[in-house]
Amino acid sequence: MSEIIRAENLQKVYRIGKVEVLALRGINLRVEEGEMVGLVGPSGCGKSTLLHVIGGLTSPSGGRVVLDGMDLGQMNDAQRTEMRKQKIGFVFQRFNLLPTLTAYGNIKLASHIAGNRNGNSRAEMDAIIDMLGLRARMHHRPVEMSGGEQQRVAIARAVVNRPKILLADEPTGSLDTENSELVLNMLQSLNHRFGQTILMITHNPEVALYTDRIVSMRDGHILEGGS
Amino acid sequence: MVNQLILSNLITRPVRTVLSVMAVAIEVVLIILVVGLTHGMLQDSAQRTEGVGAEIMVQPQTTSLFLGFSGSPMPVQIGDRLAEVRDVKAVAPVMVQASSEGGITLIYGIDPPTFDAVSGGFRYLQGRGLQSPDDVLIDDIYAESRGLHVGQTIELLNQAFRIAGIVEHGKGARIFLRLDRLQDLMGSVGKTSLFFVKLTRPDRAGAVLEQMRELLPNYQLRDMQEYVSMLVAGNIPGLSNFITVIIALAVAIGLLVIFVTMYSSMVERTREIGILKAMGASRSYVFRLVLRETAFLTVFGIAGGIGLSYGVRALVRVIFPTLPILITPDWMLRAGLIALVASLCGAGYPALRASRRDAIEALSYE
Repeated sequence: MSEIIRAENLQKVYRIGKVEVLALRGINLRVEEGEMVGLVGPSGCGKSTLLHVIGGLTSPSGGRVVLDGMDLGQMNDAQRTEMRKQKIGFVFQRFNLLPTLTAYGNIKLASHIAGNRNGNSRAEMDAIIDMLGLRARMHHRPVEMSGGEQQRVAIARAVVNRPKILLADEPTGSLDTENSELVLNMLQSLNHRFGQTILMITHNPEVALYTDRIVSMRDGHILEGGS
Repeated sequence: MVNQLILSNLITRPVRTVLSVMAVAIEVVLIILVVGLTHGMLQDSAQRTEGVGAEIMVQPQTTSLFLGFSGSPMPVQIGDRLAEVRDVKAVAPVMVQASSEGGITLIYGIDPPTFDAVSGGFRYLQGRGLQSPDDVLIDDIYAESRGLHVGQTIELLNQAFRIAGIVEHGKGARIFLRLDRLQDLMGSVGKTSLFFVKLTRPDRAGAVLEQMRELLPNYQLRDMQEYVSMLVAGNIPGLSNFITVIIALAVAIGLLVIFVTMYSSMVERTREIGILKAMGASRSYVFRLVLRETAFLTVFGIAGGIGLSYGVRALVRVIFPTLPILITPDWMLRAGLIALVASLCGAGYPALRASRRDAIEALSYE
């Protein structure tokens, strides 16, 4: 397997008024292609910040991130957006579906934004929709779906363009136990069936059952499992 | 897909959508109706003046293009000199006076025999011609708009007149008095505002005009076609400025409403913008999305505005039949383009702001 994510001495400083908050304090992390990695740690330890920096949503204050051989530090905002469009899929705790669109519309929009460049074929898209058990919910709006269904739509939306990396920020954080297991099973299936690389923040204590590796963080540092 | 997103956004927020569409519609209606009214009145005035049937019109040098605004500084005797010019068939002195009773209406003071000689005579729908000094002729549109009949008395210029006849519209004014009566009323005995000249050979109008200009160098002599072609907004002092001010006002309404609508919409949808950015939407994608949504609203508003303009015109025709509103495809297109440009300008800043939102901040927006 080849390396797809590499973070070297990654630092991120937030300024809140005159106060500097050190969110990431020299993170080193390597993820291989096809790996499913769980990122765990207490609230405020920098997990989400790390995910945002790796996903190109924000720039690091120091260090470097290399995704699929491309150094994010060498990219401007437009290039990072392009990289995100082509290589990254996001899944959020609060689902973040567009409320005015149906499930199908949400998935299709992701495909449209990516310009349908490297999107799944119709058959593959159907396979993902079936695997996620969404066939009957395609024409429903988020408000008409349960939390578990919404998160499955969010996963389908995130992988529809066949991104190399799926970044999931507490995907089970808003779900009950049953739906949490369902979503984790589905992420695992994506990883096993399609070789999807997944980096997932979670508080779920059973995450080790689903992931290849656990990375523990505390106070902006990685305690164990970074490489 | 983008259109689907836009339409679903518009449908999901019906009050905002309806308000925006209405604002654009009002903007379009204002432009179309104000321009339509001014152009309609000018065209109506031109058609009725042309309807007199004269080939040449003689006026004082400093007179206004809009008849009725210039008094009557010409001696009637000039008509005799004009009549002596070769190829002149008839000369009709006409005193023009604006009346403000029930809206601005032109009154022609005419000498019936000469006016008939130039115009070919009125077509009487009811009654007879001007005989006594207190007789008045009105055209059918004026009569219908006020429900007037032959024999009734109407007040004009603070005097009572008896309706002697109702004539078919289209020959100059809507109200006709005897020339001597109007001269007397205006304190301009022996004076007239203009002369209509009828030629035996209309094709010789140019040559006749040359002769008349030599004869009356200090007067304004115009070919009727030339006069009609000059009756456009640009030649009427202040009218273009008035139209410009109204258009600016309409644009300001549309621009401000669209600005407020799109700005508040973008604030409300901050999280959605964050989602789009997380999905890989570029700044230009978000910018274009907002402008496209604005364009959708504007197109609906333009269509509504055009429809509403026709509705208002139909209503005006019923309530004020003498007020002509000319709606032309040219000005419908212009009003639409003006509204579109104003809307896109109004949405420009909200679109720019949305496109520059930080994705993480936007995603954490409550």
